[in-house]
Amino acid sequence: MRFHERFAEKNRRYSGNSLAVFWIPGMILVGIIAMALLVIAIPVLRNPEYLAGAASDPVVFQAFLVTFLAGFCAVGILAITGTPLAYALSRTDAPWKGIVETLVDIPLVLPHTVAGLMVYLLFMSRGLLGAPLGEIGLTFEDAFPGIVAAMVFVSIPYYVNAVREGFGRVPVQLENVARSLGASPIRAFVSVTLPLTTRHIMYGALLAWGRAIGEFAAVIMIAYFPVVISTLIYYRFNTGGIAESQAIAFLLILLCLVLFFVFRFLTRRAGVYDDRS
Amino acid sequence: MIAVEEVSLTRGNFTLSRVSLKVPEGSYTVLMGPSGAGKTLLLECIGGFKKINGGTITVAGKEVTMLPPEKRSIGFMYQDYSLFPHLNVEENIAYGLKMKGIDSRERTDTVDMLLSSFSLSPLSRRYTGSLSGGEKQRVALARALATKPSALLLDEPFAALDPDARLSCMDEVKAIQKDNGLTILQVSHDRDEAYRLADQVVVMDKGVILQTGTPAEVFSYPNHPTVASLAGFENMLDGTTGVSEGGRTQLLIGKGSIFADGIFPGGARVLACIRARDIMLTDPAMVRDVPLNRIEGEVVSTVVTDQGYQVRFADPFSLTIDIPGNQLSKVYRPGDRVVALLAPEDVHIVRLPGSPVNGGSAS
Repeated sequence: MRFHERFAEKNRRYSGNSLAVFWIPGMILVGIIAMALLVIAIPVLRNPEYLAGAASDPVVFQAFLVTFLAGFCAVGILAITGTPLAYALSRTDAPWKGIVETLVDIPLVLPHTVAGLMVYLLFMSRGLLGAPLGEIGLTFEDAFPGIVAAMVFVSIPYYVNAVREGFGRVPVQLENVARSLGASPIRAFVSVTLPLTTRHIMYGALLAWGRAIGEFAAVIMIAYFPVVISTLIYYRFNTGGIAESQAIAFLLILLCLVLFFVFRFLTRRAGVYDDRS
Repeated sequence: MIAVEEVSLTRGNFTLSRVSLKVPEGSYTVLMGPSGAGKTLLLECIGGFKKINGGTITVAGKEVTMLPPEKRSIGFMYQDYSLFPHLNVEENIAYGLKMKGIDSRERTDTVDMLLSSFSLSPLSRRYTGSLSGGEKQRVALARALATKPSALLLDEPFAALDPDARLSCMDEVKAIQKDNGLTILQVSHDRDEAYRLADQVVVMDKGVILQTGTPAEVFSYPNHPTVASLAGFENMLDGTTGVSEGGRTQLLIGKGSIFADGIFPGGARVLACIRARDIMLTDPAMVRDVPLNRIEGEVVSTVVTDQGYQVRFADPFSLTIDIPGNQLSKVYRPGDRVVALLAPEDVHIVRLPGSPVNGGSAS
């Protein structure tokens, strides 16, 4: 073994040992998550009849359908409106940019009940947006659009911040060159900037979707019905007991894990442009 | 031709003030200046990426001042080449043709022709991240030339290359420029690049054009301290003009004085620019009466260079002197008393800003 290889090996082992200082406290968090999963999974697997009951319950099925569908709609709305906002923020140095960034971050720092109250006041039938939209037949109170509105509101910062960071990593010089080669600003954006931000857009969409389907407080304040999965778990927890709610929670965890895994598998090569590997 | 007339732009604390320059049709112009001079900003103004506050920009006889970049017919190449990482070599070159709506058959023909003339055919399917610096530069040039622009703007295109690749890339670019009669404006901070490539050199600093001319003119006869510094004068001595006689002017520098060719008004603050290779060093006993500046002083330090020796000389003022290896009859050591000999025509005078402007010209 040559000297520099021995040195590198020694160096690697040394840094491996020193990492223990970081691993030990870090594993406390990982342990808590693992234990939380176990306390849901073990009782459910011990009494599979609850799981079978939940899986065959049409109410549970409908709640899943509503939640996932509303989550997808929320992400769709964010993609259409949040992507241009993220791009504008990444390319602006205006002094008022900080104000817009703070506004975007507000749903992140608010208690969810406050976010719910805001969404309710804005989208209720007499609300600032709810009233005019009601006139064209879009009702939010206790309706599917209300769930989507609440989900969009709470997940705005997750999507916009992730995508803005992605746009920020695309050098403006690439757009300049595209323009010099004949591309209009929109074509330069679509043909250069957007493809190079694919991974951040997907990551932002995944974060926003996860945040959206998990929302409870903001959703029930504007739309208790149709029931979303978090509302149903809370309802069954109060009325049917721990075992019933545990079974639905277990199903949700399983579904999310499968969906996240499939998503990551399908998108593992998206936005990677390297022929060396 | 690229004609920039009275272009002004303010960005934060920086101002391009009434910048004018002309790049003649089919010529290679190198724009030089220290960091922060505004060279890249000026290039971006010509390219249309920055909106100017005043002035006009004309390219190939067409005023483009108000046109967006895509309508200017100007190719642009950044220092890092800004290749599109999500497209392969072939797609990078075809990008401009696609944007201009060229049909796919013509596009393929043009790309194939460029791939072959830039020796890029074997790399056509490779993504750009895995290319070497020289290959990246060839792709960027092919991409810029695919749309047949009226002019090319290059922002320090050789700065990221290793020394060997740099020289061959420079020769390649110069050959392409000559063969195609391209009009090129290139930003550089390297004097050798200017000598090798430029038909014309333009020097700017702090948003102002300081001097324009052929490389030999600009680097031999700088008219401003910044230009003199870029021209590579190893000795730039602060002085004051004294009496003038017989077509020469006395310069008072430190505790001594020398004569320079040219007539200048007395009492003006000037910079005496002298190349280290133009000074000769000898023993005091060897020379008495010579029609040269004779400066007696002391060797402070000697350094071996790849050309020979470099001697630092002091008292009455500091000088750096290059002694070629083949002319070295004696190795000087610190503390040795020596005489520096310097011809008056090798002293180039640059007026310092604020000094009187009337009077004759140097050299």
